[in-house]
Amino acid sequence: MSGANVHHWRNQRLSALVLIPLTLWFVASVFAHLGDDRAQFTSWLSQPAPALLMAALVVAATYHFAVGVREVLVDYVQDPRLHRLSKAAVYLGNLALALVALAALAKIWLGA
Amino acid sequence: MTPVERPLSPHLLIYKPQLTSLLSVTHRGTGFALGFGMVPLLWWLVAASWSDGAYALVQSFWSSWFGQFCFFGWAFSLFYHLLNGIRHLSWDAGFGFELKTLYRTGWTVVTASVVLTLAAYIAAYHLRGLL
Repeated sequence: MSGANVHHWRNQRLSALVLIPLTLWFVASVFAHLGDDRAQFTSWLSQPAPALLMAALVVAATYHFAVGVREVLVDYVQDPRLHRLSKAAVYLGNLALALVALAALAKIWLGA
Repeated sequence: MTPVERPLSPHLLIYKPQLTSLLSVTHRGTGFALGFGMVPLLWWLVAASWSDGAYALVQSFWSSWFGQFCFFGWAFSLFYHLLNGIRHLSWDAGFGFELKTLYRTGWTVVTASVVLTLAAYIAAYHLRGLL
C-alpha cells in the first residue's frame, strides 16, 4: 500500500526533473514558431531532434499531470468507488491524449 | 486497493490564508491549467498533421481575444509551476525550509512569474506581430 505511494512520489519528482529542460526548450520553440505557416511548422517538426523532444515532452507532461491529479484525488475523494473510477479516468484520459499526440507527430514525420 | 482508511486532507477553508498555503494551492491550480493546456497543444499538433484548413483554424484561435487570454493564462501557469516546482524539488533535497527562506523564495517565484509572463507578452507582440 505505502509502496505504491512512494513509487508515485518518486515518479512525480523524476518526471518533474525531466520536464525542466523540456519546458525551457518548449517555450523557446513556441516563440520561434508562433508565426509559422503549416509548411514551415511541419518541416521543423519532422526533423528528428524536435520530433523526439516534442514526443518526450508530451509523454512526460501527460504522465506528470496524471500523477499530480492522482495526488489531489488521494487528498480529497473519499468514496472508494468514485476514487477508483476517477483515478482510472485520469490515467486513461492522459494515455489517450499522449497516444493522439504521438500519432500526430508520427504522421508529420512521415510527411503529413 | 481500499483507500478508505487513509486520512484526508483538512478542508482548505479551515486555515487562515497565508503566502505559503496560497502558493501551494496555486501550484495545484496552475498544474491543472497546464494539464488542460495540453488540449490546445494537441489540437495544434493534430491540425498540423491534418490539413491547411485545420491549421489555419488553430492560428485564428490564437489571434482571437479568447485565445490570447488562454495563451497568457497558460504562460503564467507554466512559469509559475516551473519555478515553484524547482522550489518544491529543493525542499525534497532538504533545502529552504527556514520560514524566512520560504517567504523569500515564495515572493521570488511570484515576482519572477509575473515578469516572465509580461516578457512573454512583449516577445509575442514584437517578435511575431501576433497580438
